[in-house]
Amino acid sequence: MPSFDFQSLLWWGLPLVAAPIIIHLINLLRHRRVTWAAMEFLLASQRKYKTRVLLKQLLLLLMRVAAVLGIVLALAGPRWSSSLAGMLGGARTAHVVLLDDSFSMGDTSGGSGGVDPATAFDRGRRVVERIVGDLATASGRQELAIGRFTGLAFPAASGSPPTFDLPLQSVAPGVVQEVRDMLGTLRVSEADCGPKEPLTAALETLGRGTGAGGVVWIVSDFRTRDWRAADDVADQLRQLADAGVRVQLVDCAIDAATNLSVERLEPVGGVPASGVIVPMEVAVRNNGDRPVRDVAIELREDGAARPGVRISEIPGGATAKQRFDARFETAGGHVVEARIGPDAVAADNLRTAVIDVVDRVDVLLVDGGLAAADAGVAGDAFYLAAALAPGSGAPTGLNPRIEPPRALATLDLDAFAGVWLMDVERLEPAETAALEAFAAGGGGVVFFMGPRTNPEAFNASLYRDGEGIFPVPLAGAVDLLADPTATAAPDVMVEEHPVVAVLSGQRNPLLSAVRVERFMAVERTFEPRAGSGLRRLLSLRTGAALAIEQPFGDGLVVVVFSTAAPTWNNWARGNPSWVVVMLELESHLARARRRAESLVVGAPVAVRLEPGSDEIEVDFTTPPQGAIVHVTGTASPPDGLVASLPTTVAAGSCAARWRRLDGTERERLFAINVNPGEGQLERMGRDRLDRALVGVPFHYDAAESLQPEAGVMAGVSLLKPLLHALLIVLVVEQLLAYSASYHPRSKLL
Amino acid sequence: MSCRVTPASKRFLHPEAIARIAQLELRARAVVEGVLAGLHKSPYKGQSVEFLQHREYARGDDLRRVDWKVWGRQDRLYVKEFEEETNLRLTLLVDGSASMDYASGPLSKYDYAATLAAALAWLGLSHGDAAGCAVFDDAVRSSVPARMKRSHLTSIIEVLEARGSGGHRPTKFLPALRGLSETLPRRGLIIIISDLLGDRDGIAKGMQMLRRRGHDLVLLHVMDDDELDFPFDGPTWFEGLELPDHIACNPRALRDGYLAEVQAFLTGVRQQAAAARCDYSLIRTSEPLDAALVRFLSRRASMAV
Repeated sequence: MPSFDFQSLLWWGLPLVAAPIIIHLINLLRHRRVTWAAMEFLLASQRKYKTRVLLKQLLLLLMRVAAVLGIVLALAGPRWSSSLAGMLGGARTAHVVLLDDSFSMGDTSGGSGGVDPATAFDRGRRVVERIVGDLATASGRQELAIGRFTGLAFPAASGSPPTFDLPLQSVAPGVVQEVRDMLGTLRVSEADCGPKEPLTAALETLGRGTGAGGVVWIVSDFRTRDWRAADDVADQLRQLADAGVRVQLVDCAIDAATNLSVERLEPVGGVPASGVIVPMEVAVRNNGDRPVRDVAIELREDGAARPGVRISEIPGGATAKQRFDARFETAGGHVVEARIGPDAVAADNLRTAVIDVVDRVDVLLVDGGLAAADAGVAGDAFYLAAALAPGSGAPTGLNPRIEPPRALATLDLDAFAGVWLMDVERLEPAETAALEAFAAGGGGVVFFMGPRTNPEAFNASLYRDGEGIFPVPLAGAVDLLADPTATAAPDVMVEEHPVVAVLSGQRNPLLSAVRVERFMAVERTFEPRAGSGLRRLLSLRTGAALAIEQPFGDGLVVVVFSTAAPTWNNWARGNPSWVVVMLELESHLARARRRAESLVVGAPVAVRLEPGSDEIEVDFTTPPQGAIVHVTGTASPPDGLVASLPTTVAAGSCAARWRRLDGTERERLFAINVNPGEGQLERMGRDRLDRALVGVPFHYDAAESLQPEAGVMAGVSLLKPLLHALLIVLVVEQLLAYSASYHPRSKLL
Repeated sequence: MSCRVTPASKRFLHPEAIARIAQLELRARAVVEGVLAGLHKSPYKGQSVEFLQHREYARGDDLRRVDWKVWGRQDRLYVKEFEEETNLRLTLLVDGSASMDYASGPLSKYDYAATLAAALAWLGLSHGDAAGCAVFDDAVRSSVPARMKRSHLTSIIEVLEARGSGGHRPTKFLPALRGLSETLPRRGLIIIISDLLGDRDGIAKGMQMLRRRGHDLVLLHVMDDDELDFPFDGPTWFEGLELPDHIACNPRALRDGYLAEVQAFLTGVRQQAAAARCDYSLIRTSEPLDAALVRFLSRRASMAV
């Protein structure tokens, strides 16, 4: 049935429909009087044409009434929703409002509080309120669903259906108040969420309906980071547009002030041990264009304030790092927080790190020169053990354990921070499998070559044409020939790599003292695969590689093509750089294992339980208020028994506590942080959205200037067909008027 | 016969100019003088005398007119006066019905007809013809018999002006023509000046009747431009001058039908005139009177030849 955007205009205008009739009646009273002689001819003509003239006049009057009615209707903004389809439930205008609540919407730029919205999210809420209010007064059958980005994205990630804060329903007066109440409770989240998952939910919701006239409102801040290369989002919007859905983008952001993000907070040394200084690094990114000076960073360890640090200057668009030392006296999880001062977005001003401190860090040293009975006896491993655990005078927390190669198949390698293999001849398949599983799970593995190393066996069992853990095929041991032209040239060259960064720069006397006599050469025909991640740490003066690294699964593999003992080189013999590089290498490998521990807000938190050892009930204490969520572990192959918290809503430390069957209690801490990238507040703006969404018909409005078009609100607009009909009526009216001779004679001629 | 209308005379003979002349006599004179200015010779020929009266002789009288028989019997000199005989007795029948009051210009149809009649009377009298006049509607309302005297024009004009204006009756040709024909002692030329609106059968019968009695008939059909062209626009209330009917209409919607009816009427009138061997001319009131007069005279001349 028809409805009107401006109903009051219709009521005011309808009486005008009587105007042609009134004018006609007035004209009847305003006849010019002519006393006429030749009445008989006039009477005869009237008798002849009376019916035709009367019919034309009636039609003309009807056309004029229709024309006035058409103009009134056109001004009233008519639209049509089929009552029949409405009864069948098909015809409707479904509005799906997607409200961005990612933490960049907490941008306070331009907000002054009070009457003005304080954040972009507040502006978004006002927009939604206005939409709902307009829908309540719009004619036709209006349906509305409201969903936040995070509500629609994160349940979907855990396999649950998307959750709308307001499921699709008809807009009744009660719904308006319900929506207002609901909006009043909403707060901007600390999650990082793009429009992809919400649009998937919108596609499903609008796809279920059969009626035309769907509208998807995306109320967001349209940051460049989310929309610049959003090809999949453009595809989704195109699908919506192709389905007849109007795409309405409402930009709630305004040009942002400077925003700093605590981008990273992590230990940069090896595995932290109790009583050992843990070097940590905090990185702060300046997301603005102008440099920011003297940035103070507050630090807290397990909730207790400790002396902070300062960064003198952060250039625009750059990240500055600052190191500090932490020290934890007890083993277990410790929480470190770094906070910067308030700026445009608050959520990314705090970052939390959970440091798992151990009493000692076990490192497995596999010495190829040892028989099984010789475990713990120093061979090549002596020099490495001495470097990793120099003694009580320089505690590192590392506990080297020297074992023969066959121990790889018998020991639980996950108990070790790293596995170092020295002068191993070959590995049996079981040993290889255990080592590869350890590395693929995030472990760090270091190979040292030596006289016992069998290149053919390595190539066959460990390299396996690039499929194995060993990154390169070996050709055989070769001598490093003396350089007759430059005897003073060092044998070892430092490459660009953090492990050896301490030795880089001008001639390093420590490294210059290192002499390499023999090394294991790589097959000359070998070329690393594209994307293999192969990097050099050290090179020989001949250009051959001395040390390389390559990722393997989640872990990292390092190969030193010479011996750890001073057999083929003299590095480990009294050269301090040996100790430094080995400790750095151990930290580097251990960090590779810790990367998986960092979680972002919204991501699920999972604890793997040991069947037969752990109970299956786990309590998660979640930030920010410490609410406890009780989760029962379930078997989820291939991870085994897992207790999983589907999502997290705020940054901070999250603790998982469960009991073991022996009655002891276990706890694991997780650091939940915002995605610092969300703090990049650069806006797309209309122009760049046009370029990013090429081929997508969309409507763009700023939140402050949004005037929801009446056409968006309800049904199919009848304006265009009505104007066409009006044009036809006017043409017919003119033809009839001409035919009925109501046009002035001068215009006819 | 040929005639010429000078530009000056034409200027004064335009209906607007004629209308400004108040008296019908003056108007008629103006018309005729304008026409005569272009005439080369009289259209009428021959003469005859008819005894009128005796008069005592006076010096200067033509001795050939002395009635010697009276002198022989009474010894007194009397001269015989003869009424000049003419070969034309002109009788002007002017329609004075209500429909003749319609005027879209300065002259109503009746004014135009009366002026035309007076002019014709003047012209006839000035050539020595006898001219008489009658004004009729459903009957003869006033008349004057045909006389040759130039002063008779005054009587004719009095008859024409006696009609006045407004409140007149509808046209009934047959009783009017019948009554008139009974008063005409001799055959002559009868000029009917009318819009012919009214009893159409009566026109035909009346013309036939006059024709049977030996009269030469001329029918000057005077119509207003509005009646022939029907140029009205806009809602109009038409009220009959003769008929009691009225019509409220958009005139242009009825125009085609009206014009068709008028054409049929004119065609019928022409056919009736032809059947009665009547000389028919349609004259528009917007036409200059002298032109109408010249056209009529030229037509008559060509018929005479």
